[in-house]
Amino acid sequence: MQSAILIKNGRVINPTDASGKASSSLANNQSLDLRIRDGKIVELESDLKVKDNETVVDAGGCWVMPGFVDMHTHLRDLGQADREDISTGTHAAAAGGYTTVVAMANTDPATDCAEILDRIIKRIHEHAIVEVLPVAAVTKGLKGVELTNMVEMSDMGAIAFSDDGMPISNLDVLRRALEYARLHGRPIISHPEDRDLSHGGSMNEGMQSTCLGMKGIPSASEAACVAREIEVLRYTGGRLHFAHTSAKASIDLIRQAKAQGLNVTADATPHHLVLSDAEMTPYDTSFKMNPPLRSKQDVEAIEQGLMEGVIDAIATDHAPHSKLDKSKPFDHAPFGIIGLETAFSLCFEKLVLSGKMAPNKFLALITTHPAKILGIAAPQIAVEARANIAIVDPEMRWHFEIAESHSKSKNSPFTGRSLKGKNLITIFNGKIVYLDKERAGKRVPEVCATLK
Amino acid sequence: MSDASSTALESKNPKNSKDQNRMSDDKDTNLTVPDNLPGISSWKKRRHLLDTKDLSVEEVEALITVAKLCKDIHSKGRAPLTVLSHKVVANLFYENSTRTRSSFELAARKLGASVLNLDIRMSSVAKGETIEDTARTLVSMGVDAVVQRHSSSGSAHKLAELLKDEVHVLNAGDGWNAHPTQALLDLFSMQETGKSIKGRKVAIIGDITHSRVARSNIWLLQKLGAEIHVAGPPTLVPVQLDTFGVTVHERLDPAIKDADFVIALRLQLERQDEGLIPSIGEYKRLYRLDHERIKRCKPDVRVLHPGPVNRGIEITDDLVDDNKVSLVNLQVANGIAVRMAVLYLLMFDESDEG
Repeated sequence: MQSAILIKNGRVINPTDASGKASSSLANNQSLDLRIRDGKIVELESDLKVKDNETVVDAGGCWVMPGFVDMHTHLRDLGQADREDISTGTHAAAAGGYTTVVAMANTDPATDCAEILDRIIKRIHEHAIVEVLPVAAVTKGLKGVELTNMVEMSDMGAIAFSDDGMPISNLDVLRRALEYARLHGRPIISHPEDRDLSHGGSMNEGMQSTCLGMKGIPSASEAACVAREIEVLRYTGGRLHFAHTSAKASIDLIRQAKAQGLNVTADATPHHLVLSDAEMTPYDTSFKMNPPLRSKQDVEAIEQGLMEGVIDAIATDHAPHSKLDKSKPFDHAPFGIIGLETAFSLCFEKLVLSGKMAPNKFLALITTHPAKILGIAAPQIAVEARANIAIVDPEMRWHFEIAESHSKSKNSPFTGRSLKGKNLITIFNGKIVYLDKERAGKRVPEVCATLK
Repeated sequence: MSDASSTALESKNPKNSKDQNRMSDDKDTNLTVPDNLPGISSWKKRRHLLDTKDLSVEEVEALITVAKLCKDIHSKGRAPLTVLSHKVVANLFYENSTRTRSSFELAARKLGASVLNLDIRMSSVAKGETIEDTARTLVSMGVDAVVQRHSSSGSAHKLAELLKDEVHVLNAGDGWNAHPTQALLDLFSMQETGKSIKGRKVAIIGDITHSRVARSNIWLLQKLGAEIHVAGPPTLVPVQLDTFGVTVHERLDPAIKDADFVIALRLQLERQDEGLIPSIGEYKRLYRLDHERIKRCKPDVRVLHPGPVNRGIEITDDLVDDNKVSLVNLQVANGIAVRMAVLYLLMFDESDEG
């Protein structure tokens, strides 16, 4: 089964490279067939003939793209299986077109030592249906005090280091982490937040929080942290990645730091790109996340940052929470929303269908750019490349229905939302790991028949 | 109902002799709310009272009319009525508030409703199930209305969403967000002075950020054409309040200059521990209302306070007790009338009266 796949009639879209240029050697916007064997793309030509025992995928009208890379997910495995686990999380990833996800270290217990990382790696081998790259903690127990055995964990496969969710508030600890990181060369991912400024807040501080009578989280809680961490980086050297930037002021600081030649990178989430705090359903905890939805000016700044390349990547910050936890009153409910299944469509509509960004440039934000930051091979559609592929119908209008989500958790503000552009088929290492049976079953009848 | 064009708000078949004695004149026990009063039809469609934001001017005016009728009945000693005699009102208080709870309880009893008091410890709130589970329990018990007080903003909206069309939800205060009956009784008290609210300057003084009373008053009084000014420590005034058409002052004097009404808010003493104000002494120095300071207001200014008053902190003892200026006692009395009116307008159903 699925030993060989022939993808016919699709339009191949390759991302721009890490520097934002379209490669002259890669196909872009061409109608080509792909033959996949042994986990690799082996042929890429027009009108390939079907061979015996090949699974044929009809990609007519679809874009054939390298599978997406999400550099920020919370798979909740270990210890939070009521919210998500590696199996459900990677099924959600595959449904969204992602073939690589980076799993954050705020597991329970935290991924802060070789033993825990080893358990996670074993669970990834057993349960993941796409690639999962684990992040390890910068400090023991995410407490922001003692550094972890970063080199040992890097050697085991930790892709990056982050105390995400619990910002390192002691700048001396951050300094040591950046210095020590020279030994392994992996990025440190910062969750920029000044916990004193954000203390007790549950949404963006602004007109909406004033109107709703809610304690706000000022944008300065993010920007102030970005500013001081940039200054530490300026002193130590090394590189630092800012996760889920949400505030205009932070993006301005990152723009300036990049112009000064500092090795900083940043990502933003789909929800911060498409929603402002004015669009929240009041008191609906599906709109509660950290950082919070910001003002319209901040949303515009994120778009501008992505256009200019100040923000390098789009990352979901997929953060599942149980229905029970999310049913608490807004101020008591936990932060976070799921996002793997809606990310592509939301950003595609906002950036590409609006005519603001070319498809290959957009694709780079979810493939080559995060891959570069993480130091992994650039995803591409080319002969000899790994067969990690997302097949998307760019014209298809669909509604995201939470009941159909593959995630264990249902905390999405996009429930029922009309979206355009749907990932229909995801191939990982040469195998079909996701097929939207209802919308694309006819494209691969023989695989469809084997599905439940 | 004998008169099809009106809705009866009346005492019927009083059960105890004391009431029978009071109501010797049967004609006096019949009070009618005219059906053609603008706003009544909107109230008939309304399930909940969660906020003053979504009340129409007609609804507010209808409510004040009914509140006047209720106050009249109340003051003549003709309550309890029986209009809600087959209804059960549950007081669900997650935060202590003897005053508001007692006021709702009296209001419900004066309309003949049965009252169930549920006090829930805040410690169980964080566990999460509480609002939803309690809501289901109340539905199962056949409660007709829930009066809820809760420390989380939006909790009344959440309860209303959970209970849908099964139970009326009356918000008796949710976090910093809303306390609609307080604002309505403040309005009623202001109107009783004989002034219409349109074009009047209303100054709200103190901790605006944490005040559901301030928010509900701002949305309500603006709707009726009042000009709202606030003053408080900059650390206790929420950001971008001016974008809602409120004039924000840092100092007291410009805020109360030529004011028709001044609402002093209660200062929670823990604001000092939270580092939001340096000291109670400094607060008093800057914002405490006294006879001298209110000379800047209109000569016929009236001062309100939602209670309980921190005497000598937000307002001087002398001023609270000066009935020529202070509406504090009137507010308490009017609170019962306004809550009777709200309960009546939300719950009275002619078809049940048959």
